[in-house]
Amino acid sequence: MSCPKTELISAYLDEEVRSGDRAALENHLPGCAQCEAALLDMRSLRSAFAKTDRHQAPYGFTTRVMARTAELKSPSPHPLPSGERIKVRGWFIPFSIRFAEAAVLLMVIFVGIMAGSFMTNGSSMAQTANLASSLSLDLFDAAPPGSLGGAYLAMTEASNEK
Amino acid sequence: MQNSDDLDRINRFKNGDTAAFGEIVLAYQDKIYNLCRYMLGNAHDAEDAAQDVFLKAYQALPRFQPDASLYTWLYRIAANTCLDYRKKPVFASLFGDSGEGERLVHDRASDAPSPEQLYHSKQIGRELQISLGKLSPKLRAIIVLKEIEELSYEEIAEILAISMGTVKSRIARAREELQKSMQKFREQNP
Ligand SMILES: [Zn+2]
Repeated sequence: MSCPKTELISAYLDEEVRSGDRAALENHLPGCAQCEAALLDMRSLRSAFAKTDRHQAPYGFTTRVMARTAELKSPSPHPLPSGERIKVRGWFIPFSIRFAEAAVLLMVIFVGIMAGSFMTNGSSMAQTANLASSLSLDLFDAAPPGSLGGAYLAMTEASNEK
Repeated sequence: MQNSDDLDRINRFKNGDTAAFGEIVLAYQDKIYNLCRYMLGNAHDAEDAAQDVFLKAYQALPRFQPDASLYTWLYRIAANTCLDYRKKPVFASLFGDSGEGERLVHDRASDAPSPEQLYHSKQIGRELQISLGKLSPKLRAIIVLKEIEELSYEEIAEILAISMGTVKSRIARAREELQKSMQKFREQNP
C-alpha cells in the first residue's frame, strides 16, 4: 500500500474507517515513519484538546433565558383550556415590573426635560426636546391619547412653544 | 434515538407547560454555552449567543419533529448562531475577555495536577486557543464538535447539514491547520 491520504489517517484516529481500510492502514503504519509521525501529531493535538478548559454556563443562565422567553408570546400551538393560566413556577418577570421599569425611564426623561427647560435657553432647549421626543416615540409608539406617554408628548410640545 | 426525558419535556412544552422548557435549558446550557465559548472566544459573546440559541429553540420547538434528537437539533441552532454571530463592538470591548462568572470544569479533576503540570497544560491550552482563533469559523466549528464535544461524524454531518465525506475532509484540514499554527506559535514563543 502506498501512503494513504492524511484524511484517512485522521478518520482512523476518530475510528471512522471501514474495517477493510482499517486493516490496510494497520498493516502500513508500523513500516512507515512518515504516516506514523502524522498519526502521532494528531494524537498529541487530541491530548492538547483534552487538557483545555470546559466552560459551564454562568450562574443564573437559565433564569435569564426564561426571563427573555417570557417577553415573547407563548409559542404553544394548542390554545390553553379556558380558565387555565400558563404555569409560571417563578420563571417569569411579571408584566407589572416591566411596566414599572418603563415608568421609571419615563420619569428620568421627563425630569431631564424639566431640568433642561430651567437651565438652558431657547435653541438648545428645542434640541433637547426634539431628541427626547424622538426617543419617546420609539419607546411609546402606540401611546393612546391621554396615556402617560401622550401626556408626556403634550408636555414637551408645550415647552417647545415657549 | 430520542432521550425519554427530552421526549417528555417536549410533549409537556407542546401542551403549554413552559416550565418544561426551563428544564431543557438547564439540561443543555453547559454544552451549548461551551460550544459558543469555543466558537466566539470570550465569555460575554458566548452568553449572548447561547441565550439567542435557546430563544430560537423556544420559538421553533412547537414545530420540532422528535425523530431527530433534541441535542443535535440544539447544536445545529448553536453552530448556525455562532457562524452568523456578529461582534457587538461596544459591549464586547467593554467586557473584554475577563471570563467573569464562568465556571471551569476539568475532565479529570480528581488526579490533582502538580504546579508544573498545571503550568504546562495552561501553556498548551493557550497555544490551542490562539490557534483555534485563527481557524476559519467553519473549520473551528467542526473541530470543536469533534474534539471537545466528542461527537461522531454522523452526528456532525447532521448538525452542520453536510455530507460525511465533507466532515471527514474538513476535520483533517482543521487538524493540519491547527498543527501548523501551534508549531508556529511555539517557534515564536520559545
Ligand atoms: Zn506511509
